[in-house]
Amino acid sequence: MANWTESSKRMLSEVMSADTWLPTEMPEYAQGFMYMLGSLTASSFVVLVISGILLAMNGPDSWSYNGAMRFVAATHFWGVQAFFFFMMLHLWRVFFTGAWRGGRGLTWLLGAISFLIAIPTAFTGFLINGDLYSEWNAVQAKDGLNAMGLGWLNLTNSGQMFGMHVVVLPLLLTVFIALHITRVRTKSVVPPYPDVKVQPVSTEGVSKS
Amino acid sequence: MSTRDDVVTQYRLVPEDFVKHLMTTLAIVVGVVLLAAIIFGVPEKQPLTIKGYSTAHPVAFEQMALRALDGTGQIANYGPPYNHGTGNVESFLQTTAGIIHPINAAQDFILKPLKMATSVNPAIKAPLASFAHATNAQRARWEALYTKALTKGVYRNGKVITPPGHYGPLPTLLNDSLALGQSGLYSGALIRNGSVITRFDNQNYLLFLQGAPLQKDPATQTLAGGNWGIIHPAINGYPGAWWMTIPTWIYQWPFVANSTASDALALSIGFLFWLALALTPWIPGWNKLPRYLGVHRLIWKEFYRNQPVDNPPGAVELGGGTRDAS
Repeated sequence: MANWTESSKRMLSEVMSADTWLPTEMPEYAQGFMYMLGSLTASSFVVLVISGILLAMNGPDSWSYNGAMRFVAATHFWGVQAFFFFMMLHLWRVFFTGAWRGGRGLTWLLGAISFLIAIPTAFTGFLINGDLYSEWNAVQAKDGLNAMGLGWLNLTNSGQMFGMHVVVLPLLLTVFIALHITRVRTKSVVPPYPDVKVQPVSTEGVSKS
Repeated sequence: MSTRDDVVTQYRLVPEDFVKHLMTTLAIVVGVVLLAAIIFGVPEKQPLTIKGYSTAHPVAFEQMALRALDGTGQIANYGPPYNHGTGNVESFLQTTAGIIHPINAAQDFILKPLKMATSVNPAIKAPLASFAHATNAQRARWEALYTKALTKGVYRNGKVITPPGHYGPLPTLLNDSLALGQSGLYSGALIRNGSVITRFDNQNYLLFLQGAPLQKDPATQTLAGGNWGIIHPAINGYPGAWWMTIPTWIYQWPFVANSTASDALALSIGFLFWLALALTPWIPGWNKLPRYLGVHRLIWKEFYRNQPVDNPPGAVELGGGTRDAS
């Protein structure tokens, strides 16, 4: 049986290493705008956390009576749009490049789970805003949750939704995004498909550097 | 070019300033978000309030209050998690979860608020007592007659007037409800938990308005599920929750839209879509699709262009040299 301490030590050494997090070289194929989409999504999340902290510090309804907080609410709103926009482009890029190949299935799964958690994270934010959109969505979406036996999640309870939006869901999302990015850094981004058009039959056995 | 797991295993590593890369993406997002916030602001639509609704639609308000009182309202007959009704029960999961947030619509939405109002208007006591002491059959007769009468109701001098009839205390009680609504005090009377001074739980306020008031509000028509409303914003021109396009599309499927369990069906099918996405790496055939779609040739155009057939990439040194992808 493998030594758990040894394997944990090896894993931690890699995860905690500056070489993992601050690479000075990248594969030649991982260049350009297509390879900025994941970082753009993560950057949007950073903007959401910062603007979200400002909103939480001042109260979820502060946008309704304070001009400065209304501006912060606007950055939070557009931050959400940016987050999903870049996430969706990132999703298309990783799908079309078959990013799960070469033992990267878990990286893909962690990304998919992050996407799933991001949906209620955004939704609970809309619910605590207190405008007509909040009102309508709370009473409409409750039927779906009730039907699934998830009635304890009371969308019409602003306190519960506030806790979900500023603590529970963002924490969960942070954990899964962090795990996803850690896997990307430790497993590297997927190399290209061997191009059948240029791959000669005789390439099998070419020595690796 | 040697391959393993359908990936090229030899490629060059080129110099990269990763911190600069991260700072650049952050600067791009901050710039775009600030610009959008400055130019477009934030979409906020005034909510529908009890005061606003009772003032603008006094007759409809009384009709809605009467439905809560006689048990024909949506919440009055909803089912779990609110009560033992059957009007909105979609699955065994819903009934198994049980009554978690109990609501007696007649008591919680109408009679308790009126009882609270008796302390400022003692005249409400007598009609309340009359209603409380009536038999169920008597109440049902009053309610049936007054439901019909309200279709001819007109609003005059702060009250809804109907043709004369045997409605018992209902006209007085409902006009008192109307006055309470128009005063703006109804929201306080709908408080669910009187044991705490915090007002986090506005369940009864929202559920009181969830039927006709919100459903028939012109401002919510584009938000309705049948109109792809989940992805629509409250204010036209702004982006909504467009990432919910697939669940919204599922809601439009005829067998889902026409089902009495449309929410349970739509969410379950939506979850299956997500499951297919999440398990892509392990679904035979589906996990090979991108290779045959060929979009990767565009994404890695430069890489493929620089890979001469007779000159394997592993032989080329640039920057940090080559790397094994495994």
